[in-house]
Amino acid sequence: MKNVSVGDDAARPVTGVHIRRGQNRAIPILLIGTVLLIAALWAYMAFRASTQQTLDQHVQTIGAQLKCPVCQGESVADSPSDRAQQMRGIIRQKLQAGASDQQILQFFSDRYGEQIVWSPQWWGFSLLTWVVPIVLLLGGLMLIYFTLRDWRTSVIGATTQPVKKAPQMDAIVGEEDALAGVDAVELAEYRVQLERELGAEDVLFRRRASNARQKGGA
Amino acid sequence: MYFSDLGTIALILALGFAVLAMLVAIIGSTHRTPTLSLALVASAKRSVLMVALCLFLASFALVASFLTHDFGVRYVSDHSSLSMPWYYTTSAFYGGQEGSLLYWGVMLSVFSAIFVFTSRRASATLVPYVIVTLMAIETFLLIVLTSISNPFVRLAGAAPANGAGLNPVLMDPGMLVHPPTLLMGYMSFSIPFAFAIAALVTGKLDSEWLRSIRRWTLAAWSIQTAGLVLGAWWAYHVLGWGGYWGWDPVENAALLPWLTATAFLHSTMVQERRGMLKVWNLFLVIASFALSIFGTFIVRSGIISSVHSFAYSAIGPFFLVFLGLIIAVSTGLFLYRLPKLKPEQEFNSVVSREGVFLLNNLLLIGIMFATLWGTIFPLLSVAIRKQTMTVGPPFYNKVNGPLFILLILAMGIGPLLAWRRTALRALWRNLCIPALLAALCAVILPLVGITDVVANIGFSVCAFTLGAILYELWRGTLVRHAHGEPYPVALYMLFNRYRQRYGGYIVHLGLALLACGVIGSHFFQQQKDVVLKSGQETTIAGNRLVYYGNIDDKQSDAEIITSQVQIWRDGHLQQYIYPGRTFYHASDQPVSQISITSIGLNDFYVVLEDFKGPGQATLRIFVNPLTTLVWYGGLLMLIGGITCWWPERRKAVSSQRAARPAPAKEVLV
Repeated sequence: MKNVSVGDDAARPVTGVHIRRGQNRAIPILLIGTVLLIAALWAYMAFRASTQQTLDQHVQTIGAQLKCPVCQGESVADSPSDRAQQMRGIIRQKLQAGASDQQILQFFSDRYGEQIVWSPQWWGFSLLTWVVPIVLLLGGLMLIYFTLRDWRTSVIGATTQPVKKAPQMDAIVGEEDALAGVDAVELAEYRVQLERELGAEDVLFRRRASNARQKGGA
Repeated sequence: MYFSDLGTIALILALGFAVLAMLVAIIGSTHRTPTLSLALVASAKRSVLMVALCLFLASFALVASFLTHDFGVRYVSDHSSLSMPWYYTTSAFYGGQEGSLLYWGVMLSVFSAIFVFTSRRASATLVPYVIVTLMAIETFLLIVLTSISNPFVRLAGAAPANGAGLNPVLMDPGMLVHPPTLLMGYMSFSIPFAFAIAALVTGKLDSEWLRSIRRWTLAAWSIQTAGLVLGAWWAYHVLGWGGYWGWDPVENAALLPWLTATAFLHSTMVQERRGMLKVWNLFLVIASFALSIFGTFIVRSGIISSVHSFAYSAIGPFFLVFLGLIIAVSTGLFLYRLPKLKPEQEFNSVVSREGVFLLNNLLLIGIMFATLWGTIFPLLSVAIRKQTMTVGPPFYNKVNGPLFILLILAMGIGPLLAWRRTALRALWRNLCIPALLAALCAVILPLVGITDVVANIGFSVCAFTLGAILYELWRGTLVRHAHGEPYPVALYMLFNRYRQRYGGYIVHLGLALLACGVIGSHFFQQQKDVVLKSGQETTIAGNRLVYYGNIDDKQSDAEIITSQVQIWRDGHLQQYIYPGRTFYHASDQPVSQISITSIGLNDFYVVLEDFKGPGQATLRIFVNPLTTLVWYGGLLMLIGGITCWWPERRKAVSSQRAARPAPAKEVLV
């Protein structure tokens, strides 16, 4: 990038873009690769955590979904009360006897009433607690998608006005060539974007931008 | 004549003036003759100021009744006693329901007065309708205040010698700031609401309207943010369960309008730039106000069990009717105006800042709805199948947690996108550094022993967003630096000139920090319950806690038991701590004096659960990592909100000043 002389760039803006095309493809690939790598790491961690769950941890996960019947706003997993300790013991026994999570929660629900289950269960009436927000969220997502699609199809051909930024940009690049350690073209692009956005409000910036444009024209 | 009589008279006068202001403003707005119409509106404005004056008088009367210990007034004898210090006696003003309603009324009148004083800036056609709406709300409050919930009602018999005193949980410094801020926050949503109604009536939703409503909403948002953070702080310091947010119905109710207001602040930017989403924005403003009334209804009616049970009363139905009225009127106006609210411009690309704002709105409204749904679902369950049930923190964490993480991710990506459409190439480049940071974070965390995958995802996303915002700030500074400003000046000028943009970044930074704090304290909290005798010790998170017996301090109104504990780490004494328990004579409910010590990024949170004589204590010890970040993040959000809101007049002056020497500099360039 550094070997592209700025004078060149100002004279033939196309060249600058042309040279950057190689990088252009590398960056998205790198970025997507990074994201995939992170995702793989997370998946691996999740897998390990689920297979290596000890009995203690399992008791805690189930206990966290039950409300301690004698405390204020505490789960069976957190509460130090005797009752919660007993209940943790029962959970442990049932797990050792091979009961499933749902069976254990159902057991306590039958015994203490449904309000003991702190996290609504994925069955029966309480399923609605989960399903309604999720369905509405998906509905909202669909709505946004269709709205966007409508808006876009209604403007195809109507707009696509070319953005006149090349002369400005080149002028700024001309000013900026001494800026060490920064990609001059990138910086200039960003400057143009920022100044266009901010220039609407600020006299100083508008002057600068128009000044730059004049210089570019000259 | 007592102060309370003065108070009742002032309330009735205030009601009169409120109704008067409403009627005069309606006549003024419909009158054909311009001069007469102006005069009528001016007199409506004066009536609004009179309402504020009367309500000030009423609240002065209430404070005076408290400070003179006039126990003949029922509200005073119920909520204060002779032994309370003067500041809690004064803050008992809003310690009960009648007083907090009066506080609401005062706040609304103050906001209305501020509106009247600044109304020259708002467009003239809107003013009378804003006044009518505000005074309609005020009238509702005053009707409740003068009828069923009058704080100045006197007891039938002779005045008792002493009052019952305040609920001991409320006798905490947090009480002095949390309830007034939150109540003020609820009420402050009424001004944007009034603007929305005015716009619906007149059909005038221009950029001037947008600017007014945006600034008022920013103010309301900042107040509500402060109220929420203070509430969390108060819960953390007083309730003693080691946390600060329990998804309690009342907490949820306070969060709901905050979420819709946040959504509004973002989607107005789309309206400001592109003239789109008008209907949606109006809906959000109205929803914010309706939700804050709903919140009050939840707190006051006691239909949902909550830790805020000290505020129950019979005025629930009134608020329900009022809520119904608000929704009915708004919906009616909406349907009437819908044809006029056409978007002005069209949409270009999904990959644009507008697109991210839409996503942001979806996420915020999703969180809002899930929270609302979880709050009211137990009621539905009882109503439909006669079965009580609980929707507890696990539900909210599972539904809202991922949504918040996505929101924070969107916060990082959004500012990198341009309006209309973004050149993908630039976007990829901008994403590089934050993504690299996130990747580093994801890889390093398991290496230092943090193996929880959800926490890892959360921290990495926060790292991404923090990186993106700081990168953006750095590049902005670089741009200004290239204009010839030294770096610190450049940074300062960014904030000084583009308050909304960079104030918003501060808010985002604050939220990302807050999220780090929440993740840290949620996933890595350690807890230990121990019974210790003098000289015994316990170990938690690599620290030794040594117990040295109890101190019994007998005071005039209370007895305070305090345990002495030392915290040791690596052979060095870190801190003496004194968790305690206060027994007020006036109440049979003891209050924990929780000891919270921040060492590094860990909070040591020690509660004296029980004690036996001078030499035995049952201690409940929590180690809460990163909790301090929650407070710093909250503070940063507040600062950012105020930065966005701060009046811009100084900016105009300074930019003129800056413009003058500019030509000289241009020669240099």
